[in-house]
Amino acid sequence: MKILVLMKQTFDTETKISLDANGKIDEAGVNFVVNPYCEFAVEEALRIKERLGAGEVTVLSVGPERAETSIRQCLAMGADKGVLVNTGGLEGGDEFTTAQIVAKAIEKVEYDIILAGFQAVDDGSAQVAPRVAELLGIPQVTVITKLELEDGKAIATREIDDGVEIIEVALPAIFTAQQGLAEPRYPSMKGIMQAKKKPMERYSLADLGLDAGLVGTDGAKVKIVELSLPTPRKGGKIVEGEPAEAAQKVVQLLRSEAKVI
Amino acid sequence: MVPSRPLGWYGDTYVIMWFLMLVVFAVFGKGVYDRYRLWRLGVDEQRFAGFGQGIKNVLIHGIGHKRILREGYPGLMHLFILSGFLVFALGTLAVAVQEDLHLEIYQGSFYLILTFLLDIFGLAAIVGILMAFVRRYVLKPDRLDTTPDDGVSLVLILGILVTGFILEAQRIAITADPWAAWSPVGNALAGLFAGADNGSLKGIHQLFWWTHLLLTFGFIAYLPHSKMFHILAMALNQFFLKEKPAQALAPIDFSNEELEQFGVSKVEEFTWKQLLDTDACVRCGRCQDNCPAYLSQKPLSPKALIQDLKAHLGEKGPILLAQQAAARQRGTASQVAAAGEGAGAVLEKALTGEVIQEDTLWSCTTCRSCEEQCPAFIGHVPTVVDMRRNLVMMESNFPQEAQLAFRGMENNGNPWNVGWKSRADWIEGLDVKTMAEAEEGEVVDFIYWPGCAGAFDNRYRKVATSVVKLLQKAGSKFAILGTEEKCCGDTARRLGNEYLFANLVQENVEVMNGYNVQTIVTSCPHCLNTLKNEYPQFGGNYEVIHHSEFISRLMAEGKLKVAKELGAKITYHDSCYLGRYNDIYEQPRKILQNIPGVQLVEMERHNYRGFCCGAGGGRMFLEEHLGERINLMRTEQALALEPDVIATACPFCLTMLEDGTKAKDVIDHVKTRDLAEILVDVVQ
Repeated sequence: MKILVLMKQTFDTETKISLDANGKIDEAGVNFVVNPYCEFAVEEALRIKERLGAGEVTVLSVGPERAETSIRQCLAMGADKGVLVNTGGLEGGDEFTTAQIVAKAIEKVEYDIILAGFQAVDDGSAQVAPRVAELLGIPQVTVITKLELEDGKAIATREIDDGVEIIEVALPAIFTAQQGLAEPRYPSMKGIMQAKKKPMERYSLADLGLDAGLVGTDGAKVKIVELSLPTPRKGGKIVEGEPAEAAQKVVQLLRSEAKVI
Repeated sequence: MVPSRPLGWYGDTYVIMWFLMLVVFAVFGKGVYDRYRLWRLGVDEQRFAGFGQGIKNVLIHGIGHKRILREGYPGLMHLFILSGFLVFALGTLAVAVQEDLHLEIYQGSFYLILTFLLDIFGLAAIVGILMAFVRRYVLKPDRLDTTPDDGVSLVLILGILVTGFILEAQRIAITADPWAAWSPVGNALAGLFAGADNGSLKGIHQLFWWTHLLLTFGFIAYLPHSKMFHILAMALNQFFLKEKPAQALAPIDFSNEELEQFGVSKVEEFTWKQLLDTDACVRCGRCQDNCPAYLSQKPLSPKALIQDLKAHLGEKGPILLAQQAAARQRGTASQVAAAGEGAGAVLEKALTGEVIQEDTLWSCTTCRSCEEQCPAFIGHVPTVVDMRRNLVMMESNFPQEAQLAFRGMENNGNPWNVGWKSRADWIEGLDVKTMAEAEEGEVVDFIYWPGCAGAFDNRYRKVATSVVKLLQKAGSKFAILGTEEKCCGDTARRLGNEYLFANLVQENVEVMNGYNVQTIVTSCPHCLNTLKNEYPQFGGNYEVIHHSEFISRLMAEGKLKVAKELGAKITYHDSCYLGRYNDIYEQPRKILQNIPGVQLVEMERHNYRGFCCGAGGGRMFLEEHLGERINLMRTEQALALEPDVIATACPFCLTMLEDGTKAKDVIDHVKTRDLAEILVDVVQ
């Protein structure tokens, strides 16, 4: 079985975001990691391969040159090969343009099933994989926590409000991973050593026959007008005194200071 | 008449004796050689520190009993037995020189003194053996496990000693020895044979002589196959000893692309010294008696660990040797395989998981108590870490929580995975510069290294702040690395992630060597040990000082003066990495003793017997699912003294013990505080 994983490189989850002079997110000194949800997808792909005892796991990422380190990280976990579509300088796209690029790149890859993180921890828009499914014209099951494969079909469990939905689809299909699908492994030394030598296909946008004007900032449907940091949270207030007395004070404060009642 | 005693009564049977002796020596030699070959299955390790040093070690620790005598009963017991053994070896040698080399030495005052000593030490040895019997079969302390070999060994030695005295008594009776007074034990026993006629007594004497001889020969032949082999193996281990094996673990050369195995997955991947360790262990159980993991009912006993490895080496080693021999004789692959035939199960037994359980390895807090108590100087901790390395780096198989710590150290340079950019936030308002700021022309005598805890942990930031205030009061000139500092790597290394450790060290060394750092003052004993003893492996050579040492020095120099009294009963908890790892026991106590009004009280387990808080060896970042909670045990030991304050000098200990007082619901009146916090409140 050929398993394709769509992976996004994101900021480390602990990064303290700051804006530069131009009001853009400052990337200086930021650590980049595999988007944690994509990591669940990679892990699930590896487990499918291990369960079947055969198969190939390909990790595809769209992004600048630095995305290679995250692809290597997935190769160290055990994926077989990487595909990097280097957007080289055209990083201003949105979910729409990224999905276009991914769909085009997928033409170069064989697959029976596609896995991806259900959202990226940076922008959290959860759109790329569903859009790719639409572009490829294959079924999609999002936010899954369990995946079982049978002959030519898959049974996926997805999270919904107050419960789960169990969905059967024909393959090929796209599944997006929620936490709980598979806890990612830590790469072994063997994995780390081998990852350096595993194949990595690289494409530029031109290689894919994509017009830069359509996929960069110019092609994006979403225009970012302004970015601002959230206002820092203020410390709480502890009201002391006897319960009855304190309650009275709290009500007063809610009226006069917080102005919520 | 020159004092002596008649020898050679049974000279006509010496041919038989010599023949037997050859056989016995052959059996002994073969036994020793077989063990030697097993050790040689291990990989290389440089442990030779010169003959002089080696012999000195054996004299101090073997003959001198330095560690063995730390415990009264078993210490004296062993001293009695060993001194008897040594005096007897001397006596036998003297007799052999006289009888076989015909040098007349066994006479005169030398004879009188020697025969007297033989009696006294022989009696001491008997007392020792009886003490051993009582201890093993009547008192039965938990740390002793008893096998038939233990009984056989004791009976053999007792037999040799008793028959020796009977022989002496009979000889005195037969010869009416005029110097019998110099053989007080034999002389006293001679009364037993007073009535017998000389003829039949001689017959009995010959019977005892042969019995004595055969028992002794039996002892020699049996020695390499019994616990008594420790006489040789422990002496060797002491010859090659390293005072603190766990202090600096062996690095791995990751630039060597030929390396395919990281850590130890098979018994033959240990070094020869680690394999020798298994024979040097005589199962005394001092390690187990002081092991926080064992005492909290976790599946680890250092003694059992070493013994399990020994048993596995014993079953697997001979098969490997047979295979090697077959391969050397240019045997075909099938012949080589045949040498291991029927041994498949043994060869396939996984070292980690089957021979040694994974939980056993993860239970170790690397507190070094086992190593510190071990009279044989076995290096338990490196052996544990070597197997952890295999689990982590080869099998990626470890407690899940460790992954968070690994990720944190990888991405943000700290095991809590707090964003690295906030590493210097704690100095806000403290007037402390970073090296990057201080570089321009400012004098910096040393860098202060708060460690990850000092930089990120809210509770420990207060300690780092106190240290900074003390340093400033004393007028010290220092800076911090700030966001350029990364985790020292101790947690990664001791959890077995040597690769991550090596990466962290490389980055830190690059930064510090770039600033030409000479001296580091740190607040974390784990950083202290790693920076001081392990960074030199990677080209990082610094003078590293713990804040307790440094502050104590500042007080001695008069740069810090205590201005207030502190009426408090304080017990100081020894950090393993400060105490056992780096011999810093006195300085922290001195700080407290120099505060007027402080009543310093000691827990039963303190100094080198200090009881771990449970957080070493990366356990700070693992859940404690098995057995009792070590931090609660330690807290209870402290609370038994009814202190006002539990003083610590390590971020992990502080967290563990403070959590302990919280769990015991005494946090309101028993404070857990670092020495620096205590001191900063009372200095001028």
